[in-house]
Amino acid sequence: MQTNKLYDERLELYKKTIKFENERPSTAYGGPATPAAHMGMTIKDYIFDTKRGFKAYIDYINLLNNEAPVDVINTPYAGLFHIPISMMWLSKVKAPGIELPDNSLWQVMEKEMMKVEDYDKILEQGWAEFQQEFLPKVLDMKDLQKFIEYQMAEGPEQAKAMIDNSYPLVNSMGFTPPFEALCGARSMTKFFMDCYKLLDKIKDVQDVMFPVQIEGALQAMKQSNAIGGWVGGWRGASGMVSPKIWDTLVWPYMKKAGDKLLENGFIPIFHLDQNWDRDIERFLEMPRQSCILNTDGMTDLKRARKLLGDHVAFMGDVPAPLLSNGTPETVSDYVKELLDSVGPKGMMITSGCDTPANAKFENVVAMYKTAVDYK
Amino acid sequence: MSIAEMLANLEDEAVMAEVKKQISDGVEPMKIFEACQEGMNIVGKKFQDGEYFVSDLMMSSAIFKDVSDVIKPLLGTEGEATIGKVVLGTVEGDIHDIGKDLVHAMLSAGNFEVIDVGIDAPVDAFVNALKENPDAKVLALSCLLTTCYDSLKATVEAVKEAGLTDVKIMIGGGPVDQSVVDFSGADTYGETAQDAVFIAKELM
Repeated sequence: MQTNKLYDERLELYKKTIKFENERPSTAYGGPATPAAHMGMTIKDYIFDTKRGFKAYIDYINLLNNEAPVDVINTPYAGLFHIPISMMWLSKVKAPGIELPDNSLWQVMEKEMMKVEDYDKILEQGWAEFQQEFLPKVLDMKDLQKFIEYQMAEGPEQAKAMIDNSYPLVNSMGFTPPFEALCGARSMTKFFMDCYKLLDKIKDVQDVMFPVQIEGALQAMKQSNAIGGWVGGWRGASGMVSPKIWDTLVWPYMKKAGDKLLENGFIPIFHLDQNWDRDIERFLEMPRQSCILNTDGMTDLKRARKLLGDHVAFMGDVPAPLLSNGTPETVSDYVKELLDSVGPKGMMITSGCDTPANAKFENVVAMYKTAVDYK
Repeated sequence: MSIAEMLANLEDEAVMAEVKKQISDGVEPMKIFEACQEGMNIVGKKFQDGEYFVSDLMMSSAIFKDVSDVIKPLLGTEGEATIGKVVLGTVEGDIHDIGKDLVHAMLSAGNFEVIDVGIDAPVDAFVNALKENPDAKVLALSCLLTTCYDSLKATVEAVKEAGLTDVKIMIGGGPVDQSVVDFSGADTYGETAQDAVFIAKELM
């Protein structure tokens, strides 16, 4: 696809930031639902009326970009978003305008959808066959078909619009490691209990799942000429699970996923929700200056920078409450303090996890403006 | 190894076997229950010290619940004595239950009686639960979505408007910090399920 000068410059800045060669901190956009309120749409209309929703998304980012440069995009437009989330976490997802009020955020239902005996089924059948059988339990297959049709019809136009507006999309695909997928399917409480009682079996199951999952993700990324994608770390955070569980079921698969993305020319963004302090040094195992840690404000980036040096770039981590409840001054103070702590090199400023749906526009502007003006 | 140590080491089967053995040996049920609570206190301390993590809290809570189900029917009126009563729920518009359930488990293990009004709970559910339980001195509100800050605030206001001014309100959840306390008018917030126990004790 034909790019343009600004797009190329921004992509170059992104790659330079990963190599710690950036002249200023770069910025990344990260709000899947944030544009709706500011552009006068309900979240229901924003995700279901995909043409209008995508236009609102681009227009919103352009409004931000008029105030301070938005260098790259870390969360794509959330068209029919409840469907891919359901597939990522193998959970039912309640959607606005269907099970939830029109202006509610989509929400994952925490329910045991996969039974404990299904571990044996996966080992016997393989992941692809099990998944085919399992998906209808969490997702209406007609909705999945609609999502595929929407992606085929509007995906290329959206990709073109992103390039025409000079925004490199650095996260085209969220890879859900097997730990996270099983946690969604079993429900967190059940799955964490399983991890104590059936650790070896779950490891065997994950070994069956991983090759199928990663191959699917890589195929999708190749088809969309992706720059990179997320390797998700949500419930597998160091603050969530014991070291034995993390060492056995979480990290090996996250690392393998990162390595696979790199082998195929994609830049991995480790999307790390919650607290990863305990194990942050393990990211030294990734090739030097090859990937990004995208944290949400709970991981201590100052400490992480001391331990990791210039081995890995950071993307983060302005906390959601600050963007919703704070003022431009408090946001700016946070960003300055963060940059004072970790330095501008190898640093991309964005919200911690997603920019909240009710983030104040002026706060998001302050976040970016402070980053690009930082001396 | 004592029951408390077994529970603190998350040895679920060993704890249950020892509890059943002590019951059949005629050990006073209250003593067995107190040993389980002591185990939970050790777990809480380990969590606070960064030695244990959320999964460990969940595992210990599950063990505690299982043994409580066995012991509590044997306690009679003695088992009804608690530190106090807490009304708990996730605010309207938010269906997240994991954090709330974990707080429920930790409060129960900390010898609080918990009135759980569930998830996506309208303000009336909290107000009614407090009116029905006038001895409940603490209200614990869970909120995982920034878009539900308004629900938090509405719940706090409704409790005050209902004249329940002696009820202390603590809030918690991923996007909750002091700024949300200031916004909502709640009294305080906790960062972890374990914090909820300490705070509830202070607020009683």
